[in-house]
Amino acid sequence: MKYLAEYRDPATAKKLVAAIASITTKPWNIMEVCGGQTHSIIKYGIDQLLPNAINLIHGPGCPVCVTPLEYIDKALAIAQLPEVIFCSFGDMLRVPGSHHDLLGLKAQGADIRIVYSPLESLTIAQQHPDKQVVFFGVGFETTAPATALLAYQAKQLALKNFSLLVCHVRVPPVMEALLNSPNNQVQGFLGAGHVCSIMGYHEYLPLAAHFKMPIVITGFEPVDILQGIYLCIKQLEEGRFEVENEYRRVVKEQGNLPAQQLMQSVFNIVDRPWRGLDNIAAAV
Amino acid sequence: MCLAVPGRIISLSNDIDPLARKGQIDFSGITKEISLAYVPEAAINDYVIVHAGFAISVLDEDEAHESLQAFQALDEFRNNE
Repeated sequence: MKYLAEYRDPATAKKLVAAIASITTKPWNIMEVCGGQTHSIIKYGIDQLLPNAINLIHGPGCPVCVTPLEYIDKALAIAQLPEVIFCSFGDMLRVPGSHHDLLGLKAQGADIRIVYSPLESLTIAQQHPDKQVVFFGVGFETTAPATALLAYQAKQLALKNFSLLVCHVRVPPVMEALLNSPNNQVQGFLGAGHVCSIMGYHEYLPLAAHFKMPIVITGFEPVDILQGIYLCIKQLEEGRFEVENEYRRVVKEQGNLPAQQLMQSVFNIVDRPWRGLDNIAAAV
Repeated sequence: MCLAVPGRIISLSNDIDPLARKGQIDFSGITKEISLAYVPEAAINDYVIVHAGFAISVLDEDEAHESLQAFQALDEFRNNE
């Protein structure tokens, strides 16, 4: 596929691996922020190709796995109601609650539907006026605009049988929380490219300056990730701490303004617990 | 979760509300209807980055070509070493 195959090219990846090795003189700890990047790193064996001195710290967790138990339990309680059609992304179905998971409930007969696009849940609500349709809105800033549009369109359509269980989380507050930890080992970040395609990266400028932390906005293909690591190591070796954009073909500094505007009109930012990390201020 | 893939716009809807705008997107032979609510500037034949049924960004082809050229330059740099 165009604009995909080029960034999975083994020859380019080899060049970048060699370039990284040639500039690395001491051990460095880099965190890739997004679970999608972690997935690529493991899938393509990128961690195995890097010099031993480079340690990738995977974190701080994807929106699926950081969703607090209480929200999963809420989702399970709602999905069990006989009048409810519960719509969710597929990756939430296996996440365990206190006693069971959505997939188990579905197997027992609950009407739980996996949607690719959140907008499908609106169509389901229109098709089933006798049912209450609930969409489970989970995700970083990449996914939150979809839920925002859902709220906007449901209001426009004056749907009375549609609700949202919202559990979105923001990325910059958790990065700041990690950097404030006295035990922090992270020396550079690969910023989450698709989050930044929505939000831009101006929020990272004060983080990079205050914590003297290189932040490289990075894509998801193996060549993107290697390029992100190369730029991050280069900054560390040269003693720089800047925000750089590796993923320029997708991310602009200001981000996606129409998406930001609709999210501002639909969502309020509140503090929220982050599974594994305690309460994060202004997380969602 | 944050997975997104590039696809090419092959047709656009005529919705008046920009937030209702949709398009048929070609992903190397697989076609799917995608919301273009957040890419009002997108036109036919543009590549968009699609996540969960939404185009989240128009792919900047000039930047893509520049980055690929930069990888090429990296090779030349290494060959000169």
